[in-house]
Amino acid sequence: MELKICHLYRDVMNLSGDRGNVTCMVKRLNWRGIDVFTAGVGVGQSLSASAFDLFFIGNGQPFTQPLLLEDAAQKSAELRAAAEDGAVILGICGGYQLLGRTYEENGEIFEGLGLLDVHTKCAATRLVGDYAFTCEDPETTVVGFENHNGRTYLGEGVRPLGKTVQGHGNNGEDRTEGARYKNVFASYAHGCLLGKNPVLCDHILQTALIRKYGTAELLPLDDAQELAAHRYMENRLMK
Amino acid sequence: MNIRVSLSVIACKFCRAALRMLGRGGTDLPGRVALKLCPGVLETLAKTVTTIIVTGTNGKTTTARMIEQALADSGISYFANRSGANLLSGVTAEFAMHSSVSGKCKYDYAVIEADEAAFKAIGRMVDARAVVVTNVFSDQLDRYGEIGLTVENIRIGISHCKNAVLCLNADDSLSGSLAEGLENPVVFYGVDGPIYKSRVEENSDAPYCRVCRHPYTYDYVTYGHLGGYRCENCGAARPVPQVSVKEVLISDGERSEVVMTADGKDYPTTIALPGGYNIYNACSAMACGKALGLDMEVVAKALSSFSCGFGRMEKFDIDGVSLRMILIKNPAGCNQVLNFLTQIQEPFTFAVCLTDHTQDGKDVSWIWDVDMERLVAMGDTLGKVLISGSRADDMAVRFKYAGLPSEKLVVVRDYAELTRACIAEGRPCYIMPTYTAMLDLRASISKNYGFKAFWK
Repeated sequence: MELKICHLYRDVMNLSGDRGNVTCMVKRLNWRGIDVFTAGVGVGQSLSASAFDLFFIGNGQPFTQPLLLEDAAQKSAELRAAAEDGAVILGICGGYQLLGRTYEENGEIFEGLGLLDVHTKCAATRLVGDYAFTCEDPETTVVGFENHNGRTYLGEGVRPLGKTVQGHGNNGEDRTEGARYKNVFASYAHGCLLGKNPVLCDHILQTALIRKYGTAELLPLDDAQELAAHRYMENRLMK
Repeated sequence: MNIRVSLSVIACKFCRAALRMLGRGGTDLPGRVALKLCPGVLETLAKTVTTIIVTGTNGKTTTARMIEQALADSGISYFANRSGANLLSGVTAEFAMHSSVSGKCKYDYAVIEADEAAFKAIGRMVDARAVVVTNVFSDQLDRYGEIGLTVENIRIGISHCKNAVLCLNADDSLSGSLAEGLENPVVFYGVDGPIYKSRVEENSDAPYCRVCRHPYTYDYVTYGHLGGYRCENCGAARPVPQVSVKEVLISDGERSEVVMTADGKDYPTTIALPGGYNIYNACSAMACGKALGLDMEVVAKALSSFSCGFGRMEKFDIDGVSLRMILIKNPAGCNQVLNFLTQIQEPFTFAVCLTDHTQDGKDVSWIWDVDMERLVAMGDTLGKVLISGSRADDMAVRFKYAGLPSEKLVVVRDYAELTRACIAEGRPCYIMPTYTAMLDLRASISKNYGFKAFWK
């Protein structure tokens, strides 16, 4: 078995340690004897979305960097088709906002990739800190670190990834965190997200394997280290 | 004599003495008391002394130490905010402590290391003779929001320093722009070629031209986004430095030997601290020497004899084992430590302490942005990796995913125990702590092995 991972905009969306999520996915597949092919597709590079099973976009410098938005406009149709077709996609923070429909800053509206019907409004204050949220699918608690001045609101047909237990999440108002649509996963959580949330990581990998091979039994791994890091933060937040 | 200033100075001295009697550093509170009693105290005291301000993301403390040594060797009396108290309150306290009750500084010069954000305020109150900007990297983003803000903070600080010579890093496109639109004289400094044989993989904080957003072309990279950059679209490029490192002859585990050049004259220089990033610090200290009109031979010589700041490659010899403590504050700094470590030939023990207090940066995500994989790839040269600090578990996960064999990975919660475990390995050991971890670990080492406390 093999999964092909596309690290989208690795060249400009590379803040906050999010590339660690790709490291985590690759290792957890390799440890189970599953091959992985990873490629970075950056600004100005052509993308053949059907060549990949899994896409990742991390956080970056300000969303409105002109080069990025121009390029995203060219890749959006291809990526939207992949998402509709069930391709597994994970976006974090700025990457999450980019997956959305629109981003509003000082009254100006920028078009995102449009994979998720979500709208983000840039506010003056940042939502910053360690936080936790609960997911139903997969059933797990997730811990991470958020740092964003965007307030994201979910549209019709988009579910939240989870419900915040501590911290702000999408907008600090409705307790939603992140987004789910088909096999698109999005979150504000840095950390990196998948490093100390192995249940979520395996769920994403399993989703991609099932889509490709129809079935996927992931062998259990020794997650003592990951769960220790998870528990430490969970305990600290719930105190 | 201003009664309010005198009162403020007296209160500051009293407060510091009281805190020291209680065995505390007292680097912050006395300054806050002084400012409360007389908000203009720093401005008044600073008028009586020639001030050098050192700011930037990384290398402030080491650069300030080098400048101190250059002043001392030039026969100039000075004081410095040595204990790393680099916020407005800490800087105020240092000025008050080194002034007489009548509000006059007892020294001719002040070497002040200023936090980038605090520099905004300090620059307004202190009429600096020279401002040295070491570099700008992405640092503690939870505090500063984003990197552009760091540059803007420094820009505002500099705009107040109308009489200062600016010493700017020619190789850093982010801080190199700080002189634009200003009439201040500028001394650009830089390194004229690569400094490492091989480098770890790191993100660039400034891949695009700040004028036209076209990607930069590099003739060479020293580290991070530093190097010989130019924009092929609009022609923006690295300014020609007046002080530069022409050649790196040796850069090993103990020191670097380089040839610096200034005003057409070469200065063969030994830098008493290892690490390529300290070559930059030395070069910025030389630029400061030029800005102040010091004898450059004396400045170059001072670089071989200065003593480093706490935790900045600081060396402890305990029971025949050498321990070097290398402070890390952000991914750029950590990558430079990794660049240094991966050049080492002799097997060593490695320890890392990760904490997330406000001063450390509350977000530890950056540990995934640094190339631990390269360290792990050193194989047998890298011995045990001991991990400590409140976020030790996160760091342990990072090393697991970097491919470190589990038998090499040890989590030790207690700092005293960590030091013992490092010594027990019997090999040279490099300890990489975050800021508060460095203070705590250092306190533990001072207590158990009799080294100086951090404020002494």
